[in-house]
Amino acid sequence: MASQLPITIKSHPLAAGPAALRVKKRPGSPAVSAAQPPGGGTKKKKMSAAEVVTDMKAFGLVDSSPLTSVSTSTEGTAKPPPFKDPSFMHSGIGGAAAGKKNRTWKNLKQIMVLERTLPWKLDEPNYYNIDAPPSLKPSKKYSDISGLPANYTDPQTKLRFTSTEEFSYIRLLPTDVVTGYLALRKATCIVP
Amino acid sequence: LLPPSPVCQIFSFRDCKSSPDPILDPLVTSCGTATPIVIDNGSFQTRADWATVDLDSPRLLFRSVAARSRGAARSETQIGNDIPNLEPLRWLLKSQFDRNVVVNFEIQELIFDHVFTHLGITSEGRVEHPIVLTEAPCNPLHCRQMMSELLFECYGVPHVSYGVDALYSFHHTNNQKNLRPPQTGIILSSGYHCSHILPVLNGRLDAVNSKRVNVAGGQAAAYLQRLLQLKYPGHLAAITLSRMEELLHEHSYTAVDYQEELEKWRSPEFYEREVHRMQLPFSGKLPGGCVSVEERQERRAQQLRRLQESNARRRGEKLHQDQERLDRLMAVQELLEDGFLDQFHKSLVELNMDSAEELQSYISKLQLAVEQGRQKLLHSDGAEGKTEDTLTEKPNMNPAFNMAEYHQLFVGTERLRCPEILFQPSLTGEDQMGMMETLQYVLARYTPEQQEALVSNVFLTGGNMQYPGMKERVERELLAIRPFQSHFKVTLAMQPTLGAWLGARDWALEHPPGCGGGRVAGWISRQDYEEKGGEYLSEHCASNVFVPIKINKTLPARQAEPSVTLPTEASGPVRMVTSSPTSSSLTSDVPMVSC
Repeated sequence: MASQLPITIKSHPLAAGPAALRVKKRPGSPAVSAAQPPGGGTKKKKMSAAEVVTDMKAFGLVDSSPLTSVSTSTEGTAKPPPFKDPSFMHSGIGGAAAGKKNRTWKNLKQIMVLERTLPWKLDEPNYYNIDAPPSLKPSKKYSDISGLPANYTDPQTKLRFTSTEEFSYIRLLPTDVVTGYLALRKATCIVP
Repeated sequence: LLPPSPVCQIFSFRDCKSSPDPILDPLVTSCGTATPIVIDNGSFQTRADWATVDLDSPRLLFRSVAARSRGAARSETQIGNDIPNLEPLRWLLKSQFDRNVVVNFEIQELIFDHVFTHLGITSEGRVEHPIVLTEAPCNPLHCRQMMSELLFECYGVPHVSYGVDALYSFHHTNNQKNLRPPQTGIILSSGYHCSHILPVLNGRLDAVNSKRVNVAGGQAAAYLQRLLQLKYPGHLAAITLSRMEELLHEHSYTAVDYQEELEKWRSPEFYEREVHRMQLPFSGKLPGGCVSVEERQERRAQQLRRLQESNARRRGEKLHQDQERLDRLMAVQELLEDGFLDQFHKSLVELNMDSAEELQSYISKLQLAVEQGRQKLLHSDGAEGKTEDTLTEKPNMNPAFNMAEYHQLFVGTERLRCPEILFQPSLTGEDQMGMMETLQYVLARYTPEQQEALVSNVFLTGGNMQYPGMKERVERELLAIRPFQSHFKVTLAMQPTLGAWLGARDWALEHPPGCGGGRVAGWISRQDYEEKGGEYLSEHCASNVFVPIKINKTLPARQAEPSVTLPTEASGPVRMVTSSPTSSSLTSDVPMVSC
């Protein structure tokens, strides 16, 4: 195990890079918290990679060696399927070289924002304009507890109820359950 | 004569475990490498198999989820049926979908790997078969571009065809009933994340007038889960999404008239008969085990009281000490006043003081302190009037406590409230129109003759349409919407979940891509992809409408693909996006808000 550590440090600084990145990704791990105080406050990225790795070696932390040993072993065991192009890179992800910021995929909201900037004509369908409009009819009120049509609202908790039994049940509810029922119909008040 | 025992419906959760998919034999027909593979890429389930006539249903059916653990074990991902039980890994499950649109193409790649491996493909470097794939209605161009890139460049597929699953299902049922094309009708399709109203005029989707309601099976399952968790806070962990899905599939129904049905549930006899009691496995937990917010507050108040008491006690002791010292000093001063000078001076030395003035100042200070101390003691005594009164009394255990009933979930009106959110999204606080109101809105955009034609063929498809009573409910609401004495006909798909795959398979067999020479409508070839870009769509009877807007492709940082972005020949009027900001600047402008 000791022989592995010098190998990973000497052979390629790139390997130290991902290992350091991996260590940096888990702020709660002992490797990061132990490495930071000896290094001092702010460090440049390149310096810190070497420093963190040497610190790992100096402290002899157990965390680092399983990381490096697993990384070498998994490259051997996981074989990519034969029918794929092995050098394929998704263009939408930006690639690791573009920096860590761009590694996530766009979610639907971001894609819709992009779509709306395209030159659509008024009568052309796209994902955004086939969304159904808000309802024109007033909504019917139902009891939060039983789902029966509710005529009454409790002024203290703002829950809806139909009968006196439900009312006494509501008044005995803990506050988190009350908030839960209100959140279910998106009626939680926004505190000013 | 004993009264008849009340009818009680007690059920237990099946909690099915899935077994991993086998690697199937490639059902390559006599066409050889031209046998298409049909993949119905659903947000709930992926259905895939070869396009042959012999199959009644696709053999690969699995949940569209991948369980990827973080950290060093990243390469061990499990997909679909490889995961026997979804619940322990619920927090690791990722899907390639955001609503009904594919956004995460890494996970899509994993799903495709799984599909191709289990369909028995072993060819090197490329998948040599044409692929038929489903996409969302009005799929964003960016998503289609990324999907085409994945299929053509990573897997080297020769031809790709995209279609809408509801339309495939529509055509499948029409073929089964031998109805002559072209068909006109209106499709109500409800899946896991969204429900769509799709009018079809003369065989072609009228996409401009389609509408989407963002309420479907997934929202119903989450609603049911929250309802039961709020009703049974002691069983929070046992109320899992998988069990909710089981409840929806097997114990729920759609009311034909919601208000009337709810009134039935008011009567206690009806309730006792119709409530489904779901028996949970025995867990050994007693009621009152979990600490509620109230109890925590009570404990905090208790601790505060204890602190206050100890402070008061300390103050009292200090007061006492100060009082004693004051008395001593007063005694020394009296010595001075009475004239015992020697003793006075001796005491001063003992007290470590130099003069009578110092003594006097100390005495005045101490008097002040004693006075304040006494005041504080008076105040706190008044506040501490209500000391250790009755705190939490343990609830008396009812001797008639039924352990079996404690572990039962009573699912009563929830059975019909959860499917109802499709018709009344305001139950969950959504302000969109419900499905039937949206149908009315869509119909109003047509002439009365067109409306008659559309409504004479209302088609229900999708997994979320399988509740008992759904067809009758749609008929009843349509009766209320349509003019007096007009006609309509509602048909439920013969196979609501599998219809899309079967329809796509039928289409693929009727329209083979054809090699080399003639271009067949509906198929995108590798050459089309390179010339017209990834967002190109070749229209056919079950596809989206293609709007020819060219979007720029963001290049990966390492590789450059010069042949892709430059169009060699433009087919028809093509609108270019003139200003092309790169993706990185766009992502910095758009606030990263998670849906």
